[in-house]
Amino acid sequence: MFDWITWSIWLVGFIILVVWIVVPYREFKKILRKHRSEGRGDNP
Amino acid sequence: MNYADYAIVFVFMALMFYVGSRLYRWIGSSDDYYLAGRQLTPFVLAAVIAATNVNLYSFIGQAGIAYKTGIPIIWQTWTGNMAMVFAGLFVIPIFRRLRIRTIPEFLELRYSKSVRTFVAVLWILRLSFWLGVVLYTAVIAAQPITGLESFTGWILIFSVVVIVYTVLGGMWSVALTDVIQFVLMLAGALLVLPLAMYQVGWWPGLESSLPEGALTLVQQEGTYNWKFILAIFLLGIEWSCVDQGLLQRAFGAENTRSVARGLVMAAVITTPFALLWNLPGLAARVLYPDLANADMAIPTLIASLVPNIALGLVVVGLLSSQLSTISGNLNGVATIFTSDIYENVINRNASQKEVVRVARIVTFAIGVFMIVFAYLVPLMGGAVNAYLTIIAIMDMPLFIIAVVYGLLWKRANWQGAIGGYLAGSTVGAIGQFYYRLDFNVTTFITASVALILTPVISLLTRDEQSNHIDLIWKAKRTSDEEVAGNSSYNILPKTITGRFGLGILAFGFGIFLTGVLLGSAGSPIASMVAVGGMIVYFAGGLMRAFKD
Repeated sequence: MFDWITWSIWLVGFIILVVWIVVPYREFKKILRKHRSEGRGDNP
Repeated sequence: MNYADYAIVFVFMALMFYVGSRLYRWIGSSDDYYLAGRQLTPFVLAAVIAATNVNLYSFIGQAGIAYKTGIPIIWQTWTGNMAMVFAGLFVIPIFRRLRIRTIPEFLELRYSKSVRTFVAVLWILRLSFWLGVVLYTAVIAAQPITGLESFTGWILIFSVVVIVYTVLGGMWSVALTDVIQFVLMLAGALLVLPLAMYQVGWWPGLESSLPEGALTLVQQEGTYNWKFILAIFLLGIEWSCVDQGLLQRAFGAENTRSVARGLVMAAVITTPFALLWNLPGLAARVLYPDLANADMAIPTLIASLVPNIALGLVVVGLLSSQLSTISGNLNGVATIFTSDIYENVINRNASQKEVVRVARIVTFAIGVFMIVFAYLVPLMGGAVNAYLTIIAIMDMPLFIIAVVYGLLWKRANWQGAIGGYLAGSTVGAIGQFYYRLDFNVTTFITASVALILTPVISLLTRDEQSNHIDLIWKAKRTSDEEVAGNSSYNILPKTITGRFGLGILAFGFGIFLTGVLLGSAGSPIASMVAVGGMIVYFAGGLMRAFKD
């Protein structure tokens, strides 16, 4: 018999995993672009 | 572990070192070093906070308790998440508006410089010791999983890479590596769950093999009964309002609205995640019922069930959970020292360059203290006891003076704050170490003493209000900066959907509370009602954070 409880928990975890790969990747790219456009990168 | 597993772990450590240390170039000011330039977006912030909050204490300590006593220990994480939603919506946005970096800095604004310095010194010790606990737990878990028994060897593996990249890249390194580590530890947990559940015959097999009541979330009797849920919820409120590790990440958010959204999302994603370590803990109870040490439940399960290569990935997941916690707290301690002691007391005219240099030196020094403390943890009766002791004695009085009286009662003064904190902590320490009281009782005592003595001492001494008190009270309202940046956040929502979200949040909390109280009468529907209430509460929190 298919274990709905375990696989539902697993699926929720998997969806979180995918979302948290895609969205932070995009957001970090945006931050990187902003840093580059500001010409930052030198150390004090 | 075989060579392929070791290679995976090595590649991971090298990647963390490379990614973390490359961000050395992003550090231009002390705000970059402490707070990632206050540029963290909600999803990044949520991952960073979740990665810091989930560590081997969850995978080892909490799963070990689930192994011994059943599922109710999961409320430690779930109520902590509910508390984080509360703090994210109502308390931390106020702190973020004040543009502070640490809670001691808030204490100077609210009370006086002496309160700031006093609490900063205590919290440097508290966080350094907590780092030692985290490191110790990591080593204890790594030994049985990998078969490498050297305590010192593991101490060095865990600490060298993380110290180096945190020293170099500060909060930027912490943020980027945390996001990667969050994904890896979630992936590792997702690998383990089906393997463990398959072995016990999936959910029906688990249910029939466990002792009666082990899957009952709200219990009438036992150590982790309905009273525990209420007590740990209160502790969660305290933790989420004053914990430097959590607050510092929140202060790194790009604006107040992102603080609220990031914290609510972190809470929501960590809630199902908690099942990914507690259910394997319960499965281990069925598979290995005679373990002498319950903390070995998950390490034993992983070492026995997970095949090679996948084992390497799971170990990387566990390492991730630990490195993210260590790096974040290292950065937190360095921030307190540099911001509250160096810049505030030792060298008030320090340039940004000097401040960043000192922050790097302090990060390194705290890393060394962390290693020393890791050797002392076994002398305190193990990681869980050490952790609970710290919380009971040091965190609760700080919550009382910073949040309860700091934000709600103008008459509280610096004498009351220092007196209340000192009395609460001292009485807590006496109760814990001399009378050997239970940590729940110690927490209650420290809170009560601080709660009573702070106003008493304040009323007996001069009514000296800080010059900044109006600034703090003003921070409860939307700031001009938010309006100008089109990122307004209202603590009390102004739109109908925002208010509706707040209503759902309050309604969900009411249902949750009803469920817990039904548990006191042994009602069979208590667990369902409490969990249902928690889900409604989170839905309300999301609506409140995103729709106003």
